[in-house]
Amino acid sequence: MPLDTSSYSLALLRLDGRRWNELRRIHAQISTQAAVDGSSYLEMGNTKIICTVTGPAEGRRVGGGGSGGEATIQVEISVAGFSGVDRKKSGRGDRRIFELSYTIEQAVQTTLHTQNYSGSTISINLHVLTQDGSLLAALINAATLALIDAGVPMSDYLCACTAGSTTNTASSKGAPRPQAALPGLSSLDEEADDPLLDLNGLEEQELPFLTVGTLGASEKVVVCIMETRVQATRLEEMLAVGVDGCKRVRSIMDSVVRDHGKRMVDEG
Amino acid sequence: MPISILPPAPAPSISYGADPSDSDDDFDLDGDIDMEGTSRGLKRPRTSQRHIVTPGELVTDDTQWMRGHGAYHPPDSTAIHSSVFGTILKTNKLLSIIPLRARYTPEIGDLVIGRIIEVQQRRWKVEVAAPLLASLPLSGINLPGGALRRRTAVDELNIRNFFTEGDLLVAEVQSVYESGQATLHTRSTKYGKLRNGFFMSVSGAGGGGLARKGGIARSRRQVFTLSTGRGGGDIDVILGVNGFIWIAKHVKPKMEEGPNRLEESVSMDVYSSQNNDIGVETRREIARVAGVIRALVEGGRRVDEEMVVKAYEVSLEMEEGMDVEGGDFLGGEKGRRVVEAVMSG
Amino acid sequence: MPREVELSNNERDFILGALRQGLRLDGRGQDVYRELEISFGEEYGVVDVRLGKTRIVARISCEVVAPYPDRKFDGVFVISTEFSPMASPAFEVGRQNQDEIILSRILEKAIRRSSALDTESLCIIAGSKCFSLRADIHVLDHDGNLIDTACAGLVTALQHFKRPDVEVQGEKVTIFTAREREPVPLSMLHHPLCVTFSYYDGGQIALLDATFAEEQVREGEIIVTMNRNGEVCQIAKYGGVAVDALAILSWTNMALVKVQAMTKVIQARLKEDAERRDKDGIAAELRADNDRPSERPHG
Repeated sequence: MPLDTSSYSLALLRLDGRRWNELRRIHAQISTQAAVDGSSYLEMGNTKIICTVTGPAEGRRVGGGGSGGEATIQVEISVAGFSGVDRKKSGRGDRRIFELSYTIEQAVQTTLHTQNYSGSTISINLHVLTQDGSLLAALINAATLALIDAGVPMSDYLCACTAGSTTNTASSKGAPRPQAALPGLSSLDEEADDPLLDLNGLEEQELPFLTVGTLGASEKVVVCIMETRVQATRLEEMLAVGVDGCKRVRSIMDSVVRDHGKRMVDEG
Repeated sequence: MPISILPPAPAPSISYGADPSDSDDDFDLDGDIDMEGTSRGLKRPRTSQRHIVTPGELVTDDTQWMRGHGAYHPPDSTAIHSSVFGTILKTNKLLSIIPLRARYTPEIGDLVIGRIIEVQQRRWKVEVAAPLLASLPLSGINLPGGALRRRTAVDELNIRNFFTEGDLLVAEVQSVYESGQATLHTRSTKYGKLRNGFFMSVSGAGGGGLARKGGIARSRRQVFTLSTGRGGGDIDVILGVNGFIWIAKHVKPKMEEGPNRLEESVSMDVYSSQNNDIGVETRREIARVAGVIRALVEGGRRVDEEMVVKAYEVSLEMEEGMDVEGGDFLGGEKGRRVVEAVMSG
Repeated sequence: MPREVELSNNERDFILGALRQGLRLDGRGQDVYRELEISFGEEYGVVDVRLGKTRIVARISCEVVAPYPDRKFDGVFVISTEFSPMASPAFEVGRQNQDEIILSRILEKAIRRSSALDTESLCIIAGSKCFSLRADIHVLDHDGNLIDTACAGLVTALQHFKRPDVEVQGEKVTIFTAREREPVPLSMLHHPLCVTFSYYDGGQIALLDATFAEEQVREGEIIVTMNRNGEVCQIAKYGGVAVDALAILSWTNMALVKVQAMTKVIQARLKEDAERRDKDGIAAELRADNDRPSERPHG
């Protein structure tokens, strides 16, 4: 069922009442679990994640020792059976989940300063409680918060969010576009094509979108994943909106961490 | 006997949600974002212990400062940025950031509690909650039978008679390698195998004494004996710097009289894995001490001798003051009251 | 587990040093692909693709099965990848390594999710019969840039493959062998191709078609899948060192040029092969969409 975007252009409001450049509510806590070295709980709209970090600790040796004096990073994602709309049993060897954990592993590896922890393992466990779009972005943000709580040194916050584009002629199934179309010639209904920030589950199913993860407030992109077909000309504004969204996400996460720190210093 | 159903203890009031600064309602959607000092270049680093820095934050761009732990230079820049979440510590011209919470990092002289994970040819691998397992060489323990005796091949063969997998021990950090791996020793009667008691651990113990709350602080006395009421006798409490805690019945060391001093007369008893007889009263008081420590940790307080002793006394008074059902359990509301009483008293 | 031989530190320095001076070990420019060699097998849908020493074989096969109950109007399309131990000692049979899962995920997203293949055209009778298409990708030799090679191989094989013709009369389905009727090519909506950028020095240097040694020293990679119409089908940058957002945009522009060039090579080779098979011009006469008079053909 195609998403009804007809009212969008009139009211400039989305299905859930947001404007195009509006993030969903982000609520986060850190130090939620006492038994682990670092933990966090993150809600981005209705996507809810718990993350725990153990380590750096000497773990089981995986495949022949440490690589080049850096800590090994292990990411485990478990998706609760009740997290989606239909109850699904996710298999162990789900490639989509593997891809998510691979992405986080690779992204975190370059962000953390693990030169001093050769031979140890940092294991990140992520539990998806509910999913409603922007899953990868929420996972990355939750992992960052838990790693900060664990006191692992890193260059900056790794923060992520999604950005989409409203008209999706490019990804509409059916008639192929004329093969002779010139590169860079975008669709005719240019005026209707607007970028969107932070997509929810419904929007994600219907619109082309990408997930951007940046290093702190800089415009340096660490993660960029797009899985839907879109005209190359739309990419620029989607990226720009995504990078801008990441800056906002960073400041929200930063205030969460600071509040927590203030509480810790004031008490005791 | 009438059945009484106790009302559920009220949920611990964590005020995260109520904090107005958590909500993003006051967020300016179209305006630019205040990065809370990250974009401002500070000439002089702030020294307040209350000032918190977060990863990526610019601490100073003044070149006179040297970068210590928890700080880094971004590529092609001499400014110092923080890499952890913590408070700034200045030592002369050295700037380091002490993380509010971190895993334990071994330092020479630390008293730690560890668990034997692996037995090797002539050393043990000990889990001390550090990034790497610590190692306890056979030469780092007091061998039974006589003064500083040479270790022999027989000792190597019988290595499991001293410590075996799963044993807990208290030891001192003798040296730390460049990789961060610690070497331990137990060459004192204070150290050795742990018996007659109860183990608990506190996470996030690392990060250094100044800023850290809700954990064990490095202090003058990590090991102390508590004389308890209610016929519990004496109880030993060992607070490992690494966040591991051992609470046990106090057993008088057997002083073997002789011309030689204590140190030289280590008998095989030190490595015994048998518990002594422990009375019910002692067990109850051990549990109470554990409950007190747990309440202190949950309340985010420092755990050291002074606090534990004070909290233990408060809990005893409370116990006598009111005759509540529910036994000696010190969780939830009751634990919080104990902590409050300690802080006010 | 046998491991791939790692480069020594000096080799790393050497390769990086050369790159900083604008040189690659094999003398190519930074944005130059190795020559794409494509050869076809006797059967339809068997393609052997080489890019330098990297070599993959793609084979398409099909059978008639019942469609999935939740997608009655779609045929089945499965992509399976296999890393042969002959390509590298690090590959083991039966055990999936990380690169293999990533490769199959990329192909899945590039071809299946972007609906390059019109799976509805594989349906014979809704809900009861459809074609199940299976693409097997075998990696025979590995000298870097597996993803681009595999994607090019798969897309070429899909264009080369022809499925048997079918005729439906009510509930009765007749499947014709290649002798009875000329098989039908698949209906493709667009032809996506992957372009992998390996970057160094925080995005200062970006290489196309990196060799295995160059892949080992890279700081990160970004895989862009595009078709010649300028649509981006997929972008994947799994971590790695951070790069500027603008660099990503300029790389997609560069990718488009490469995709158009590669598409041209592939189309030319497909045409050559079609001409070779069609020596007497008989194919035109046998085409399924010709009229089929019920009586004997003229002649």
